[in-house]
Amino acid sequence: MNALPKLKTDDLKANTSTLLKKIIKYKYFYLMLLPGLLYLFIFKYIPMYGIQLAFKKFMFNKGITGSPWVGLENFRYIFSEAEFWNAVKNTVIIAFMKIGLGFWISVVLAILISELRAPRFKKKLQVVYTFPHFLSWVIVSGIVINLLSNSGAINNLLSILGFERISPLTDKGIFRYLLVYSEVWKEAGWGTILYLAAITGIDPTLYEAATIDGASRWDKIKYITWPSIKGLVVVMLLLSIGQMMNAGFMQIFNMYNPTVYDVADIIDTYVYRITFERAPDFGVSTAVGMFKGVTNLILLLTADKVAKKMGHSGII
Amino acid sequence: MKKKFTKTDLVIGTLLTLFAIAILYPFYNSILVSLVPQDVYVKTPFMLFPKKITLSAYQFVFSSKSIMNGFLVTLFVTVAGVIYNMFLTVTTAYALTKDIPGKKLIMHLIIFTVYFGGGLIPYYLLIKNIGLMNNLWVMVLPIGFWPMYMIIVKTFFEELPVELEESAKIDGANDLVILFKIILPLSLPVLATFALYYGVERWNEWWHGMLFIQTASKQPLQLVLRNIVQSAGEMTQNLPAGQEKKVFADGVKMASIIVTMFPVMCLFPFLQRYFVEGLTIGAVKS
Repeated sequence: MNALPKLKTDDLKANTSTLLKKIIKYKYFYLMLLPGLLYLFIFKYIPMYGIQLAFKKFMFNKGITGSPWVGLENFRYIFSEAEFWNAVKNTVIIAFMKIGLGFWISVVLAILISELRAPRFKKKLQVVYTFPHFLSWVIVSGIVINLLSNSGAINNLLSILGFERISPLTDKGIFRYLLVYSEVWKEAGWGTILYLAAITGIDPTLYEAATIDGASRWDKIKYITWPSIKGLVVVMLLLSIGQMMNAGFMQIFNMYNPTVYDVADIIDTYVYRITFERAPDFGVSTAVGMFKGVTNLILLLTADKVAKKMGHSGII
Repeated sequence: MKKKFTKTDLVIGTLLTLFAIAILYPFYNSILVSLVPQDVYVKTPFMLFPKKITLSAYQFVFSSKSIMNGFLVTLFVTVAGVIYNMFLTVTTAYALTKDIPGKKLIMHLIIFTVYFGGGLIPYYLLIKNIGLMNNLWVMVLPIGFWPMYMIIVKTFFEELPVELEESAKIDGANDLVILFKIILPLSLPVLATFALYYGVERWNEWWHGMLFIQTASKQPLQLVLRNIVQSAGEMTQNLPAGQEKKVFADGVKMASIIVTMFPVMCLFPFLQRYFVEGLTIGAVKS
């Protein structure tokens, strides 16, 4: 009986020394980790420390640590601002419109591409489809703005056909659809890649057997193609719901203008404007940012739970 | 078994072609606008083929100091940025292939940053405090490595045969030699793919420039482009008096866009395969 505690301490000693030995053995690898960890610490973790500003009245001369605490004052302020709630509302609406209209286009497009029976033409099409993804929103918005301007090609065509000219960039009724459309234009093709990879992975004998059984093309899509990408579609859908609060800052920031702030101002653009285009209150801005960050995290964790409940591997 | 070309095939082909035209037409229109003189543009309501071509918009772009300057800045940001990104991605990924104590915690710390961050203001104050304000390096250093890419590279390293490493060790090679002489050469395709991803991202950089760069000569190309595209009819202001009338603002805007995306446009058809592979390896691995 007496030997037992002794054994334990021995164990512990042995464990510590093997741990030390291990650390020494791997010392170069720790050295290798250093730059990456230093980067994360400085550019990712120090800003997290700055989140405390959400509960402070920021004063430039006192810095983050020295500024006085104000409790929930900043949150009370933003929650009473109509403009803040408008931004939240727009973020949710725009995100849902993109998911509801844009998301499915990639799925349909992927199925159509997989059904195309001209391999070389298919490759060329895919080069075209995936290209806009690699352009910045600065470029894409420039192209879109030019195309839709009052003297632009679309309006000229409309006027030739006898329709009235439209101004989607300043029209509150259609600006959000313009956001969805331009997002589809830029990203739908790139969005097909994963689905196409999944479809390529389907055992071809399934299709052959179905053909012999007299299945139509539509039957094969319905009973073979769709079931085999359904899981992936669900995961991608949950992933985009988890990232909903982002709603596309780079896009909106480059395309919107004061006339459409009502319908296009999202949380990120709102933070940017109250910080850099007005008399800034960094405490308030940080509070808005934190509201978004926490909501995002909750959405992601929920989406991940749902994915796991449905028997998928989760998205985190 | 050769199948017949059916009506359905025709419908599918047509739909896909129409979508491709919907993507291509805006580019075509931009090129047209950049190439025609203003009077032709105004007189031809809907143009598919230009009647008269002029290169004056391009002349303006190539003689514009700010665009050429922006190009040099972006070139620096892209080259320095990709080297920095790849260095951090490879070192972190390789170290994490080993069974080092604390590995799990480190992985968690890395992944956490994907899902949560400090937000704009703390980031802004940090950049200010560490003296990166109005410094070219502000477009390089704050974007170190993307955890997703790092994890994919790490998985790739882990799947290389262990025997290679072991036999090199027996021959007396140390870990650094193993990394540079064995691991990296074998991983070249996957590394090239991620270098491309990082490169495109750097080429498209304007956000850090807009937030943190005040001096006009230090602005990246995309930011210069943004200023041109977003300006409304102010194109003539920074020109010598005599030239003012010649400039067709829309033409110059589109010419700047074409020039800015030209490198991506030329390289993309050849590299598309690698970009696609990068995404699919990633999906399979994670």
